[in-house]
Amino acid sequence: MDDLEQAILLASDSPAAAAASPAVRAEALAYCARARDETPPSSLLHLCLYGLASSPHAHVHFWCLQTIHDALLLRRRLALPDDLALLRSSLLSLAVSSNAASPPFLRNKLAQLLALLVRFEYPHVYPSYFLDLIPPSPPLPGPTDMFARVLVSLDDDLLSQDYPRNAEEASDAGRVKDAMRAQCVPQIARHWHEAAVSLRAADPAVAAVALDAARRCISWIDVSLVANDVFVPLLFDIALSPGSVAPLAAAAVGCLSAVAAKRMDARAKVALLRSLMSAQKGFGSPDSGLKMAHLVTAYAVEALECYRKLGSSDADGAAALEMLEEVLPAVFAAAESGDDDEVDSGSVLEFLSGYVSTMKAPTEKQLGHLGQILEVVRMQMSYDPVYRGHLDVLDKIGKEEEDLMAEQRKDLIALFRSICRVAPGTTQLFIRGLLVTALSSAEVSVEDVEVALTLFYRLGEIVGEEEIRTGAGLIRELVPMLLSARFSCHTHRLVALVYLDTISRYIKFMQENDQYVPHLLTVFLDERGIHHQNAHVSCHAGYLLMRAIRLLKAKLVPYLDTILQSLQDALVQFTATDWANKDIKFSSSEDGSQIFEAVGLLIGIEEVSPDKQVQCLTALLNPLCQQIESLVMDAKAQGLEESSPRAIGLQQIIVALTMISKGFNERLVMGSRPTLGVMFKKTLDVVLQVLISFPNVKPLRSKIISFLHRMVEILGISVLPCIPIALRQLLVDNEAKDMSEFLYLINQIICKFKSSANALLEDVFPAIASHLSVILSHDAFSNGFASNTEEMRELQELEKRFYAFLLHIATHDLSTVLLTPSCRHYLENIMQLLLITSCSHKEISHRKTCVQTFVNLIKDWCSSSEIEDKLPGFRVFMIEKFATGCCLQSVLDKSFNFRDGISIALFGEIMMAQKVMYERFGENFVVNFVTKLREAHCPPDLAEQYYQKLQGSCIIYVHKALPFLRSEDVYCGNIFTEPGYRGKVP
Amino acid sequence: MALPNQQTVDYPSFKLVIVGDGGTGKTTFVKRHLTGEFEKKYEPTIGVEVHPLDFFTNCGKIRFYCWDTAGQEKFGGLRDGYYIHGQCAIIMFDVTSRLTYKNVPTWHRDLCRVCENIPIVLCGNKVDVKNRQVKAKQVTFHRKKNLQYYEVSAKSNYNFEKPFLYLARKLAGDGNLHFVETPALAPPDVTIDLAAQQQHEAELAAAAAQPLPDDDDDLIE
Repeated sequence: MDDLEQAILLASDSPAAAAASPAVRAEALAYCARARDETPPSSLLHLCLYGLASSPHAHVHFWCLQTIHDALLLRRRLALPDDLALLRSSLLSLAVSSNAASPPFLRNKLAQLLALLVRFEYPHVYPSYFLDLIPPSPPLPGPTDMFARVLVSLDDDLLSQDYPRNAEEASDAGRVKDAMRAQCVPQIARHWHEAAVSLRAADPAVAAVALDAARRCISWIDVSLVANDVFVPLLFDIALSPGSVAPLAAAAVGCLSAVAAKRMDARAKVALLRSLMSAQKGFGSPDSGLKMAHLVTAYAVEALECYRKLGSSDADGAAALEMLEEVLPAVFAAAESGDDDEVDSGSVLEFLSGYVSTMKAPTEKQLGHLGQILEVVRMQMSYDPVYRGHLDVLDKIGKEEEDLMAEQRKDLIALFRSICRVAPGTTQLFIRGLLVTALSSAEVSVEDVEVALTLFYRLGEIVGEEEIRTGAGLIRELVPMLLSARFSCHTHRLVALVYLDTISRYIKFMQENDQYVPHLLTVFLDERGIHHQNAHVSCHAGYLLMRAIRLLKAKLVPYLDTILQSLQDALVQFTATDWANKDIKFSSSEDGSQIFEAVGLLIGIEEVSPDKQVQCLTALLNPLCQQIESLVMDAKAQGLEESSPRAIGLQQIIVALTMISKGFNERLVMGSRPTLGVMFKKTLDVVLQVLISFPNVKPLRSKIISFLHRMVEILGISVLPCIPIALRQLLVDNEAKDMSEFLYLINQIICKFKSSANALLEDVFPAIASHLSVILSHDAFSNGFASNTEEMRELQELEKRFYAFLLHIATHDLSTVLLTPSCRHYLENIMQLLLITSCSHKEISHRKTCVQTFVNLIKDWCSSSEIEDKLPGFRVFMIEKFATGCCLQSVLDKSFNFRDGISIALFGEIMMAQKVMYERFGENFVVNFVTKLREAHCPPDLAEQYYQKLQGSCIIYVHKALPFLRSEDVYCGNIFTEPGYRGKVP
Repeated sequence: MALPNQQTVDYPSFKLVIVGDGGTGKTTFVKRHLTGEFEKKYEPTIGVEVHPLDFFTNCGKIRFYCWDTAGQEKFGGLRDGYYIHGQCAIIMFDVTSRLTYKNVPTWHRDLCRVCENIPIVLCGNKVDVKNRQVKAKQVTFHRKKNLQYYEVSAKSNYNFEKPFLYLARKLAGDGNLHFVETPALAPPDVTIDLAAQQQHEAELAAAAAQPLPDDDDDLIE
């Protein structure tokens, strides 16, 4: 044993191991393993029992107990009855004489081993385990503690449903519980009571363990052994007594909660709950909620369940509701205490939601409760003042806190919403109370104001648009109150943001009540909005102002000058070249540019007089254009680095111009107020100068493209002369991503101007085609589409835009461009690309685009007489290559999936193509196609039928033959002949 | 709690036991901390790797000696003998394997038997993997036992610090303790789909409001 003891100490983290070398310790571990695995069972047992008796070291005791446990459980060794008897008697005597001061891990290990013996031997081999272990009266700490740990281990390892159990374990558990119920449970319950009485002061830790063991057993013993007029008052006394240490009080609360949660019939449960209620005076008081949070929550959940099951018309059901309402003050106190360790806020919330959902027309009393639930919601939605500073500057900690709160609020908001539905009046009164308090005191905290405003904001989500518009209920009073509000903590980011959002939420009220429009504008324009010291707040205010202008439009005309004046400094600041130095990161959407959109919208309102519009727009555009001109001049002299303040300044200005233009449309600018059109045209010329001078500063170029999109939109056809030069510049140093942006612009131009873009397209097409032939060469995709890199995604995006480009050309009367001498050179390649893509591209939507393109080209280039064809050879190409490759072979390929929606759409396009080919090419097409059908082993009668159907009008029948050729898809043939078929596969 | 032959330090250090089914990523997780990886001692002698992980808090440096019992889950070594004197723990499961979550209560029980009343964090690892089997809303065990739960991704470093911060706060008894410096972490092997993860976190929050199921049978369909 000395060697083994030494080995165990060397292998563990005991101080003895400290001096040993790794080699020695490896040897020690191997020694232990050999002792465990290779010693004959009887000897191993004796060795371990000897170790337990003789060694002074806890590590050795632990190893010995563990080894016996493993031998019993994992290997089923020690099967000899004599060995087991020896083990049993040794362990029982160890347990009975156990000292409460020995390390808990050892006592637990011993208890675990005893529990295992109970499982294997009780009651059939040895019926007196519990009788031996129950400590005699009066209970002493050592044996009481040990006995409780055995019960806890038994629960953990066998009885509790919290762990996965196999069938054997389940049957052992049933046997043990039955025997205990028959033999000793009442005696054990008496012991718990005695232990609680006698040890609560003398050794509270042991009393707590005893009650914890009791808690675990309550679910399967006769509940009246605990739920009686002796035990329950004791448990309440322990739970509430100021002298009880926390773990003991918690154990008592645990027992009471287990009693309340005991599974039983609803009527019996009502009686049980009633008895608990009457056992403790003031059970439902806030104080009891603070001290017994877990119990009052469990109690309320059970009462609610009984009420739901029995209903209010039942006497017991009504009693359950009464008890529930009596305990509510305690539940509220528990919920408001915010003690995460004691209160499972999830289950409290679940209960409160369940309670609210039982209400239809709340009584006065219930309205009072709803008010209190609102207060719980408010408290749980409030930020902790500790994070106030972090949330203001929104650093890493502040961001985390904000995210956490957003998550935490989700369920609270759901509860708030249901209260609001049940009791809108109460909710509004509650919010008014919060706002009045927040406004009346200079001391009010950031957190209180924030949560009050947040709730008011959420109210706006729930009440209907009509209620907001008409100012139903208290809204008529609350919104004006809010408009004139200035909180002492208005400088805080959170307060300012939610304030602005709330105002915006109720903007429909201002729409109906003109008198408040000036107040609204003041909010947006003063230091609560755009002039707030925090840049994020200011930008957000700009965004919200823009939305307000979109909504209120003409109502704002009288305030045009005021608004413009107030915005002057913010507008200047946005385009100031030192902007880049500001150390602020903006979310992509709210970068401050929205104030330009706001101003644009405002000036663009038709009710503003033409003169005023010209005056305002001049004042706005001229300085910006001058700024551009001067920056370009400087840049020409000194160069333009991509990330230089100058380049960023130019970008900002161009963004500003783009945003301004969003307030105008073609009808206004080119129709009713052409002077404005001239101004934008001039602006376009200035911006184009930037592009001409610095075509390859990419971020800048990207902003210019956005601007061009807007100009195409509002200037209409008059923009065309400017476009070629812009396009040529955009093709400088042009990679896949740039080309995509470029094609997007071209596609917009084609769609907008159709055949008017003919000359432009003719001019630019060769450059596009030659550029794309390089970028989209076969090599570009040689890595395969599987490689999911950014470059590959850019290429795929470009590919998609390119096919769209060809389709737009074909559908907008521009296909003759392809036939012009300068473009003819690329035609062969383009036709081949369209053919290959329409036959076999992995992306089915690309195939469809290409087939549609071909259909349009046939219509454009071929008439029924071949002599009039615009492109010689195209007809033959279509009949021989396209019809066979795409219309027949690609469909016959197994990869063509008739159950896929996009493929079905493609199939529709292919049928359309055949119809058009039949119309234009007649017999030539049909004869060839039918020949190919026969070659593909189509039965002659089907091929004949196909021919006839093609001549007929019903295109659905055309393809009867095709799916038929794919034997596995025979059913498809039937589907497509079904009269009711509408393009969907059942 | 340092192993023999391992330098002891003059700032607070704690024995942290990390348990969970084999293959849940315990070793990968502790190895993300590069300093710990550099200093760790593989101790075949006792079949456990001990990684000293240092963190810098606003109250000074602290060290966790992470006892990674990798490979010892089944049988052999000292098993729960390694937990003795553990001061805090991480229980790891794999969100792509239901069985590893189903075994969490057993790990928790075995741990608590040896280490009573220590702070414990439950970690659902591999949240970077698309094919999740244990949805956030199904994770309720931590609420029954008052543990802290974090979703982590050892491969992408997602939430690496969170479990350690929680344990440090509990051990220091200071809820406002924070890390002032990011430890050197191995570069992420994968990037996590933040949108998808936010969805899971949202589910998790929603799940917090759900009642606790009586048992976890709903995981086995």
